[in-house]
Amino acid sequence: MHINDAQMKQAPWWSWLAVITLLTMGALRPALAQTPARFYWDTLSGSNAVPLIFESINGNTNPFDPAHIVTPNADFSATMAIAGYARTFSLFDRSAMAAILLPMGRISGDVTVAGRTFRQSASGFGDPMLEFNINVLGPPAQKNIPDVMRYEPGFSVDLLADLALPIGEYNSKQPLNLGQNRWYGRFGLPVIWQLGPWVPGRRTTLELLPAVWLFGDNNNFVGQTMKTAPMFQLDAHLTRDLTETLWASLDGAWFSGGKATINGVAGKPLNNIGVGLTLGYAINSNLNLTLGYKSTINDNAPDALRMDGFMATLVYGWHPLIEGSRRLKSE
Amino acid sequence: MTTLLPRSLRSTLRKAGNLICALGFFGLAVCLAAPADTAGSGARRPNIVIILGDDMGFSDMGSFGSEIRTPNLDALASEGVRFTNFYTHASCSPTRSMLLSGVDTHVNGLGNMDEWTAPNQRQVPGYEGYLNHQVLTLPQLLKGAGYHTYMVGKWHLGKAPELIPAARGFERDFSLLDGAGSYWDMTNFTGAAPQSVFTEDGRYLTALPKDYYATKTYTDKLIGFIDANHGDGKPFFAYVSHQAPHDPYHLPREWRTRHVGAYDKGWDAVRQERLARQIALGIQPPGTALAERMWFVPDPITLAPAAKATLGKKMELYTGMMENMDFHIGRLIDHLKKIGEYDNTLFIVFGDNGAEGNDLFKMIAGSPGSRDFLFAAIKWSQTHLNAWGDPGSYVSYGPMWAQVSMTPFSQYKGWVAEGGIRNALIVSGPTVERPKGSINHGLMHVADIMPTLLEIAGVDYPTSNAGRPVPKLIGRSWRRMLSGQAPAPRGTQDYLAWEIFGNRAVRQGDWKLRWQYKPFGKAAWELFNLAADPAERKDLAAERPDKVRQMVGLWDSYVRTNNVILPSRSTFETLEDQLPPRVPDDPGYPPLIYKRQFVPPTDMLADPKP
Repeated sequence: MHINDAQMKQAPWWSWLAVITLLTMGALRPALAQTPARFYWDTLSGSNAVPLIFESINGNTNPFDPAHIVTPNADFSATMAIAGYARTFSLFDRSAMAAILLPMGRISGDVTVAGRTFRQSASGFGDPMLEFNINVLGPPAQKNIPDVMRYEPGFSVDLLADLALPIGEYNSKQPLNLGQNRWYGRFGLPVIWQLGPWVPGRRTTLELLPAVWLFGDNNNFVGQTMKTAPMFQLDAHLTRDLTETLWASLDGAWFSGGKATINGVAGKPLNNIGVGLTLGYAINSNLNLTLGYKSTINDNAPDALRMDGFMATLVYGWHPLIEGSRRLKSE
Repeated sequence: MTTLLPRSLRSTLRKAGNLICALGFFGLAVCLAAPADTAGSGARRPNIVIILGDDMGFSDMGSFGSEIRTPNLDALASEGVRFTNFYTHASCSPTRSMLLSGVDTHVNGLGNMDEWTAPNQRQVPGYEGYLNHQVLTLPQLLKGAGYHTYMVGKWHLGKAPELIPAARGFERDFSLLDGAGSYWDMTNFTGAAPQSVFTEDGRYLTALPKDYYATKTYTDKLIGFIDANHGDGKPFFAYVSHQAPHDPYHLPREWRTRHVGAYDKGWDAVRQERLARQIALGIQPPGTALAERMWFVPDPITLAPAAKATLGKKMELYTGMMENMDFHIGRLIDHLKKIGEYDNTLFIVFGDNGAEGNDLFKMIAGSPGSRDFLFAAIKWSQTHLNAWGDPGSYVSYGPMWAQVSMTPFSQYKGWVAEGGIRNALIVSGPTVERPKGSINHGLMHVADIMPTLLEIAGVDYPTSNAGRPVPKLIGRSWRRMLSGQAPAPRGTQDYLAWEIFGNRAVRQGDWKLRWQYKPFGKAAWELFNLAADPAERKDLAAERPDKVRQMVGLWDSYVRTNNVILPSRSTFETLEDQLPPRVPDDPGYPPLIYKRQFVPPTDMLADPKP
């Protein structure tokens, strides 16, 4: 009957909500791979996140290269990880996020260049990427807990910009590298379309990420110059909560363009589709896990993009306010 | 039928009818067949619409000082009269029993709530827990006098076939027999009684209509009832017993977000704003003070934004409940205007008791491992804020907002402090000849409605039924007061009395004597002068022992006259052990949590010396 306990016991839900939202936010941008679902949800300003992404990928393209240049008859096997740090903030009353992501790992396989086949491998760090994201259409920034409580994306659109720094491991004597020896980046418009109520356990979203990748020239690609045309990429996810902490997503991706030209010899542009499935689970109020598999589908032609892989992500998120509240509560 | 007979013949037949009734030969049917004078000679008798808001608070309508938007109810107020000294009982079915019988609760079967009948009250006539058959009901008498009688909404006066609305005088009904439940479906609260029970036209429903939402469906059904018989020349009596705004606050999504953040300011600020508006409107006199903030309710300015927003959202939903109910009442009013019946319809609007500050859901499902907790885990566990209002959610707004709803009074539902029993009343329509929009401060009671409406309908209240004497009506007709011939239905020597759950009170003139369980009361008689202290802040019992004695005499008289048996057990018997010790409500205490950062004079600021 009295407020002291019963009423105030309502409080934990928001801290939980805030962190869960934080964990599934756009702090994690594995720009080198297809972006998983629910990575664009805006959250409380001042939140921090450390993402860790693990991928095991096979195919005929270098997964460290976002241009996904196809190497016909090649068979690569890559194990990669991406670690990063992201922080959310408010900019012009809009949710914004800045992040840095560092890819690392190893790749090996047969590569055919100019009719010659090489067995190659590479390992080390890839090109770090800087990322900035800001919401341009949708609810205003979540500057305090009540804003988080009242947040529903409705139909929201962000503006996303990535820039990779060409300082990763690179060996100009072989075509297979982790670093790409060129500047590149993308502009994207992450879209979240809320379908139905925004209640954990019942949330459904359609998420789209149309993006354009832009690439600088690699002036020392095995001693040659490689130019890469802009590539359009559309990621799509239909996501649905299975419980309050478990969700699933049907994923799709379409790659178009990105024609590579090496010393004036043009390759073929991409026009490929990939599909996948992702499961997400909130392990606790700080830690979120996703597991997924994706594969290209129209990949029978020798020069078609062929890639499949398993992906696991862990995101650890925190906010000083919520961590402090937890410390007080545990006293 | 009665209006078609010549006056002399009607008089003769009435006398004959009364004689027959007295002799008990033919019983009620013949008695009701006896014509009676109608309200105005030759005038068409008015339709009657009673609109009951379940747990609606005194200050929840705009015309009583609320910020809640209730344009349709306010329009009734502006065309009619508002009453500020109107009393119900402290809980729902006792109020409803007096509304529909005009007889004291300890006689009509609701001497206690069915859910809380005490061991020493079991098997005692007057404490059946339902509206017993000793009494005649308002719809029974109106139906016999030629009225169509319709009911929609909450009944809560008995579920057995002989107790349901159709058996108690309602010609058509669509009724929730329980005291509360889901607004969306038939889900009820306990594992023992998991399903709400509904009737429609005297049949128990196996399912609810498609697109059921309580407030909307009740309104749709009533409009259908009215239309079905419209044009046959008979007036109708409609009992619109809305479930709203009783918790759980189930609400269509579009009604949940009309006031986002509006209540983050906290309950104290909203109470102060309401009181200011009440004074400006003339509902309360200048100088009226607010009742104490309940000692276990925090000062909202000390709360974190998240707590303010969470607790504020509860009030947002309650506001939505009120506004949604007002919307559907507006639909009914518009329909009556459309079919030409509005101008001949008398509206009576009020809440059935004080606003609900008790945590009903916790009472039912508060113990993990219990049967009802497990039931709630399956049926009532949609606790996320964004789910509030959905099926499976259970939101109630707590004592802090209940106090807001009862501004400026003390306490809330279940208690006989003013916050538990005083409610807003609007009467509008034919027979109301007082200035439109006026406010009356006369002492009124829910049991007055029965004699008032019988007089307006030209129906005599029988003295016997089937050979048995009928309990006397305890109320006073408002007819002369409504027509402007009297300032109030009661004089200064008349008194009202209440008893429920062992809490008891007497009001006579400006004085009120009150006994309540600790810690809401003192488990002793307290005395208040309501004219000077409507918020019941100052107990005058020690200063005025003479007045206490005199009013205890009234209480004793009430007990003797009305079969009052104080309960041997009460829902409030252990409350003192559950709440923090009661302390005074001293604003700004302790200064520790109110004093703000000291800011030194800028010309005395200095950097530390090396």
